[in-house]
Amino acid sequence: MSLARRWSFSLLLLLAAACKDQGSEAPASGGGATIGAALSLTGAAASYGALQRAGIQAGVEQVTGGGGPKLNVLIEDDASTKEQGITVFQKFINRDRVSAILGPTLSNTASAADPLAQQAKVPVLAISNTAPTGITDIGNYIWRDSLTEAQVIPGAFKKAQEKLKFKTAGVLYGNDDVFTKAGYDVMQKALADLAIKVLGTQTFAKPDRDYNAQLTALIGLKPDVLVVSALADNASSIVAQARQRGWTGPILGGNGFNSPAFIKNAGAAAEGVMVGTSWNSLSQDPANQKFLEAMKKGGVNPDQFSAQAYTGVIILAEAIKQAEGKTGREDIVAGLAKVKDLDTPLGKFSFTPGRDAQHEPSVQQVKDGKFQIVQ
Amino acid sequence: MADLLLAYQSLFAFVGINGLLALSVYTTLSCGQLSLANAGFMAIGAYTSALITLRASGVPFIAALAASALLPAIVAVPLGLPVLRLRGVFLAIATVGFGEVVRLFFVNWDYTNGAMGLVAIPQRTQLWTIALALALALFILGRLRGSRAGYALEAIREDETAARTMGIYTTGHKLAMLALGAALAGLAGGLEAHFTFMVAPGGYAFGRVVEMLVQAVVGGTAAFYGPVVGAAFLTLLPEILREAGARLGLAPGPFRLLLNGLILLAVILYLPNGLVSLPSRLRRRSRGVA
Repeated sequence: MSLARRWSFSLLLLLAAACKDQGSEAPASGGGATIGAALSLTGAAASYGALQRAGIQAGVEQVTGGGGPKLNVLIEDDASTKEQGITVFQKFINRDRVSAILGPTLSNTASAADPLAQQAKVPVLAISNTAPTGITDIGNYIWRDSLTEAQVIPGAFKKAQEKLKFKTAGVLYGNDDVFTKAGYDVMQKALADLAIKVLGTQTFAKPDRDYNAQLTALIGLKPDVLVVSALADNASSIVAQARQRGWTGPILGGNGFNSPAFIKNAGAAAEGVMVGTSWNSLSQDPANQKFLEAMKKGGVNPDQFSAQAYTGVIILAEAIKQAEGKTGREDIVAGLAKVKDLDTPLGKFSFTPGRDAQHEPSVQQVKDGKFQIVQ
Repeated sequence: MADLLLAYQSLFAFVGINGLLALSVYTTLSCGQLSLANAGFMAIGAYTSALITLRASGVPFIAALAASALLPAIVAVPLGLPVLRLRGVFLAIATVGFGEVVRLFFVNWDYTNGAMGLVAIPQRTQLWTIALALALALFILGRLRGSRAGYALEAIREDETAARTMGIYTTGHKLAMLALGAALAGLAGGLEAHFTFMVAPGGYAFGRVVEMLVQAVVGGTAAFYGPVVGAAFLTLLPEILREAGARLGLAPGPFRLLLNGLILLAVILYLPNGLVSLPSRLRRRSRGVA
């Protein structure tokens, strides 16, 4: 057989395998619930997706081991794009006939894919979306367990101000990214509410690697504190370059700083950086200790994203329990509405009337190369 | 089968939208111009139609779509007059620049929420709307072949100077194709905006136009339908690999990306004239070595 023919033959085989009609297959039997998880395992958000997967797997083991409802979680990769996010959602809804969906990782993908679930009346529990609008306001089937920036930053800044007593600030933010721009909007408001004078505001773009111009301008204004909204990889270079420019004062970061990668890349420059977080890694709460133990067993260094993913599974299990073991889509929505003061690694967890997360955020500071919770 | 269609209807929609985008790159390629401004045109079309739908009530969807095709075509004329004087890589660089300017314009425009973009756009695009748009585009490009203008475009592609000495108005032809490409890209943007519920500047970065170009080239630019074949192949491939991987019991992850890349590489190495050259190649092989 010729090469070209062999190629086309194997492609045909692949196609045939993919096209085999699955319509007759019943949803997973055995009284369990089938849950879809759309995660960004490749592409721009791959580093978050990998930790979310670890969190979900740990959560499922925890629930099953603890005698909870049987959960069959299907994990699919959305490649950090909204197109594949939509395709994965439709597959979950119409083919796998899942009871509920966890994810997707990125807020942008969520604004594109969640409306499909809303139309089909399939509950979605977002485990990492922080955009203030365009997620839970899509409709009554969209819930989330991740705190938005608006819920974390004002409290964090207040606590930082009590500790550091600053009166003026210089602000630097990435204006071409959803995440960092939304973070900046909240920071601006939080600073105004605390009556802190913003001496100057500078912007950068995601692909930038040199921030010296912006930092020189800001440091020249002699603010008491630098406020930075950036994703983890930009954040580490910004902090390192600020220290090189001679900045010794405190730095307040946004949610993008909440990554072990930030400390690793920034090294000694990260010392003293303060950031608000929705997960208190040092919490002695039994629910958090169980989570830490499960992650340790999996050999994964836990972070906020894995904690929120793990919590997502715990919440769905609780919703099924509240629905008396029924796993229909409507049953889970009714169950989610009854989740209240649930013990999770994030703390006592409830939903707000707007289906957003409600629990106590914390503030952490880098000390000796590690995030430490500020009491 | 109906189940399968329901589960994958979005995939077919993306095949159509990507097909339109690949065709938009093909229009300028067909007269030998490598223009990479199409992500920018797509952004203009997407934002135009989305703003009409969201901020002007009562305008029919068809009018919003028409605007999404028309505005980029109008923008293409003043852009094309100076930049089409450039050739080869210089034209490519100038048009990439235009695309970035458009993206950064939307990043910095507060009226459209900057980087966060517009959300909660009602879903108006149906599968048949996309199919109709694609059929229309294919019809126009198919009719162009063999027509007087079609021969002129081929002449310009082969040798621009010779074409001009033969009395062909090269600037006009190149400009018309740039505007047609812009209209197709804008239309695809408008269709996508009303299918995916949202538009954000991040979706129109440089990577997007590279995707369009790869789809057009993998499909083959010798035939006018080649880009659509390429778009269909490259849009379906990741999902086919997802299925194949699931059946083989592989955990979802980077392997899919790797295999996707390997298959793409194989196609480019063994079918340099694109997927559309596969049938003729097979015929030649079976007649020859076999």
